[in-house]
Amino acid sequence: MKQLINFKLNGEEVEHYAPLNRTLLKMLREDFDLTGAKEGCGAGECGACTVIMDGVAVNSCLVLAAELDGREVTTIEGLSMDGKLDPLQVAFVNEAALQCGYCTPGMIMTAKVLLKNNPQPSEDEIKEGISGNLCRCTGYKKIIEAIQSAADKYQAENE
Amino acid sequence: MENFVYYKPQTLKECVSLLEEHPDAALLNGGTDLIIQMREGLRIPTDIIDIKNIPDLQGIKVGPDEIFIGGAVTMSQVYDHPELSKLFPYLCDAARSVGSIQIRNRATIAGNLVNASPLADTATPLLCLEAVIHTYGPNGTREIPLNEFFVFVRKTLLEPNEVVTGISFKPDALDKAVFTKLSRRNEVDLSTVCCSVGRKGGEYRIAFGSVAPTPLRLLDVEAYLKDKELTDDVRREAAEIARGTVSPISDVRASKEYRLDMVANILEDALAILQKEG
Ligand code: FES
Ligand code: FES
Repeated sequence: MKQLINFKLNGEEVEHYAPLNRTLLKMLREDFDLTGAKEGCGAGECGACTVIMDGVAVNSCLVLAAELDGREVTTIEGLSMDGKLDPLQVAFVNEAALQCGYCTPGMIMTAKVLLKNNPQPSEDEIKEGISGNLCRCTGYKKIIEAIQSAADKYQAENE
Repeated sequence: MENFVYYKPQTLKECVSLLEEHPDAALLNGGTDLIIQMREGLRIPTDIIDIKNIPDLQGIKVGPDEIFIGGAVTMSQVYDHPELSKLFPYLCDAARSVGSIQIRNRATIAGNLVNASPLADTATPLLCLEAVIHTYGPNGTREIPLNEFFVFVRKTLLEPNEVVTGISFKPDALDKAVFTKLSRRNEVDLSTVCCSVGRKGGEYRIAFGSVAPTPLRLLDVEAYLKDKELTDDVRREAAEIARGTVSPISDVRASKEYRLDMVANILEDALAILQKEG
């Protein structure tokens, strides 16, 4: 069964017949070919599916497609503007904050909201902020460093 | 996930008529439990009634006689609320201890209570605050003291066609309180034992989660502590009474014996904090 929904996806208004028994994550990946958000657990445990919905980080595996009507969603694909990477993406590359990369899109989307609400987080605040995002490769150290370096970059840009 | 019909009612009335028309419908609020259950086939609702957009369920009202938390208010809206975090830090600590930030942005306080898990984190501070659950159903509104609301594991006094519209409590219900959560990992974990201990004048209110079929008040301990000075001996005796009042089980998170010890330790520590900070 499908239902017509109107929502904003990465800055663009879209009109879409969403299959009802589907999560936001599946819809992004299968209907829109936005495969950045990943399914790790499908149960709200790993954060690999994190996207920004109406300004807050959510697990897209725990949102129904039908709920999207009238809302706004940003995925990792919407972070880079005109082919230019977001400072967080640049920092993850420069600090080598990824190995297999499976957790990275979710990690970056969580960090994006974290830095919006708290532009200069302490190490502990970063750890707490990304505690809903699991990474099985990096050991987190470089991820934390990348988020710190992106924070400095945003700060410099705003000055 | 099986197919279902999706409804997004705009009023409570509309919502209740939908519930009456569709006996196998499920209410969708934050979805952090429901969607997992649907995915695992534990629940196969024919209809989904998404209540989180109903205007009557929105917002937190801080009045002189009553604090009211709407039925669709999320965990993060609670602890991000400037007045609530100043006036009820223990409630905010409990809300912040649930899941991850992504979960807290969706999960609601009402959902946490309605699910009636024995270890519902926000239940213990609200039990100490003597909170009241407000419902709306075919026969109008009801107010149910939270203390009576939980019946058994995942069972409450909520009728099938009723919706929780909010949770209220008195601004001056407690002078001070402490929330404690013990879990295997500091972030993103379920409680092994959770507890709130509050003081109002010479009276104490004590609630534990994960040590009985429902979150519960330890009235025997409260009676023992009334108007007593919190000396070391009194605290120890209170902890012993608490140990005899609860009925924890062994599960994947901890053994029964461990939980009993922790009930005693947490209570003694929380009383010490209340004693020290006046
Ligand atoms: S896939 Fe959504 S939290 Fe793991
Ligand atoms: S880089 Fe592999 S899971 Fe994080």
